[in-house]
Amino acid sequence: MTTSKQWSAEAVEVVLAAQGIALAPGRAERLARGYQALLEASAADPLLARPEFDAVPAGFLLAMQKCR
Amino acid sequence: MSDPALLSLAEARSVPPRELLQACRARIEQWQPRINAFLAFHEEAGPGVPLAHKDMFYRAGRVSSCGSKIRRDWVANETAAVLERLDAAGFADLGRLNMSEFAYGPTGHNEHFGDCRNPWNPDCITGGSSSGSGAAVAARLVFGALGSDTGGSVRLPAAACGITGLKTTWGRVPLRGAMPLSPSLDTIGPLARSAEDCAILLQAIAGDDRLQEKKELRIAISSAWIERNAEPEVAAAVLAAAKTLDRNPAEVEPPDFDTLSAHCLVVMQAEASAQHAQWMRERPGDYSSAVRARLEAGYAIPAASYLEVLRLRRAALERFCAQVLGAADVYALPGIGVRVPTREETGPKGGERMPRMLADLTRLTRWVNYLGVPALVVPCGFDSRGLPLSLQLVGRPFSEALLLAAGRALQRATDWHRRVPA
Repeated sequence: MTTSKQWSAEAVEVVLAAQGIALAPGRAERLARGYQALLEASAADPLLARPEFDAVPAGFLLAMQKCR
Repeated sequence: MSDPALLSLAEARSVPPRELLQACRARIEQWQPRINAFLAFHEEAGPGVPLAHKDMFYRAGRVSSCGSKIRRDWVANETAAVLERLDAAGFADLGRLNMSEFAYGPTGHNEHFGDCRNPWNPDCITGGSSSGSGAAVAARLVFGALGSDTGGSVRLPAAACGITGLKTTWGRVPLRGAMPLSPSLDTIGPLARSAEDCAILLQAIAGDDRLQEKKELRIAISSAWIERNAEPEVAAAVLAAAKTLDRNPAEVEPPDFDTLSAHCLVVMQAEASAQHAQWMRERPGDYSSAVRARLEAGYAIPAASYLEVLRLRRAALERFCAQVLGAADVYALPGIGVRVPTREETGPKGGERMPRMLADLTRLTRWVNYLGVPALVVPCGFDSRGLPLSLQLVGRPFSEALLLAAGRALQRATDWHRRVPA
C-alpha cells in the first residue's frame, strides 16, 4: 500500500507553465488543493480494480448497447 | 384561450404562425428587460412555432457568441445538424439565447452579456449553462429551446425555472455544428413546457422516438438518502412525485454520486482545458475569472488518470444498470438537492459558502453525464419562497421515450408544469 504524494503549488505552476498557461498570483495553491481532492476522490473508487487489462475506453459504446 | 403564447407546443401547431409570433414578441417585450434571456433576435424568424436556442448552435453566416467575449462577433460557417433538423421540421428560430460563458458554469451568471435571471424571482439563478433556454421557456417567450448538457446544463435550468428538460443519451443527438466543451460528455437536449413538448422536439432532432405507453412504470429510489441529503422541502416534493408514478417504488442503495461526479470532473476538466488551450495561452484575460479558474484546473490532470477514468466507464454503467436500476425502469431523485439559490450567493461576491453551494447545485447531475445515460427533469412543486422544485428521472441508455412517457404520466396527474411566472 502506498500513499499518494501531495500536490504542491510549485508543482502546479511548473506543470501549467510547461504548457504555456500563466496563473494569477495565489491561484496555484488553490489549484493544488483542488487537484488533490479531485484525484483522490476519483482514485478511491473500488471499481477501479475491475476493468481487465485489455479494457479500452471505447468499450463504453458496447456497454451502452448492451445495457439499453 | 386569450394568449396563444401560453399554449403547449402541441396545441400551438394548429394556430397560424403569425399569431404565435406576435404573441411571443409581445411577451418578449414585456419580459426581456426583466430576465435578459435573449442575446440577439433574428430579423427573419422563419415560419412555424417559435423556438430560440442557446447561443452555441452554429448557423452559417450568423454570429454565435457561445456567451463569451472571445467569440462575441464570431460568424459561423456551418449550420448545426440540430438546427437543420428543426428548420426542416418547420419550426421558427427567434434568436440567440443567453448562456454561461462557453457553457462552463452551472448558475447562469455571465459577466460579458449580463446574468440571465429567473422569471420566478429575478434575484435567483436560472441554473446553467443553458440559462436563456430555461428562462425563455419558463416565461413563455418561446415554445421550446435547445440546450446542451455536459454536467447538468439542460437539467439545472429546467429544475430552477420550473420547466421540463431532457438530457439525452450520449451519442443520441448529433453534435455537429455545436460548440464543443467535453466531447466524451457533451449531449444536446430540449427544454420545453412539458414532457410531451420535449418529445416533439426530440423527434425532430433525433429521429422518431414516440412516447411509449407503459402500463406499470417501475421506479427505483433511495428515499432514506434523499431525506438525509436533500433539503426538507425538496425531499418531500420528490418523494411525493415518485409515489405518484409508482405507489410501491423499489428502495435501492444510491449510486456513489460523489465518486462518479469526481470521474466526470476529471474527464470534463481535461477535455475542456484542452479545447481552450490556445486561447488560454494567448488571451486568458478575455475569460471571466470564474471560467478562467475552471479552465486552469484542467491542465494538471494526469493523462493516465483521464484515460483510466474513461476505461472505467463501461464497468460503472453496467453496475448502475444492474445494481441500481435492477428490475426498475427509472431511478428517481431530485434535479437539485437544494432550493434554488440567489445570484448573489453563487456569484463572484458569494463569499466563503459559494464553492459549497456550487457543489450542491451539481451534485446530482454530473454523475449522469459520466454514465452517459439519459435523464428527464420535471417540475414537482414549489418551495415556500415560490421557487420551483424538480424531480429527476434517470434511465437506461436510449430510454428517452420511456422517460418522457413517465414525465407525461406525472404531468397528467399534476399541474406544476402549467404554472406560469407572473
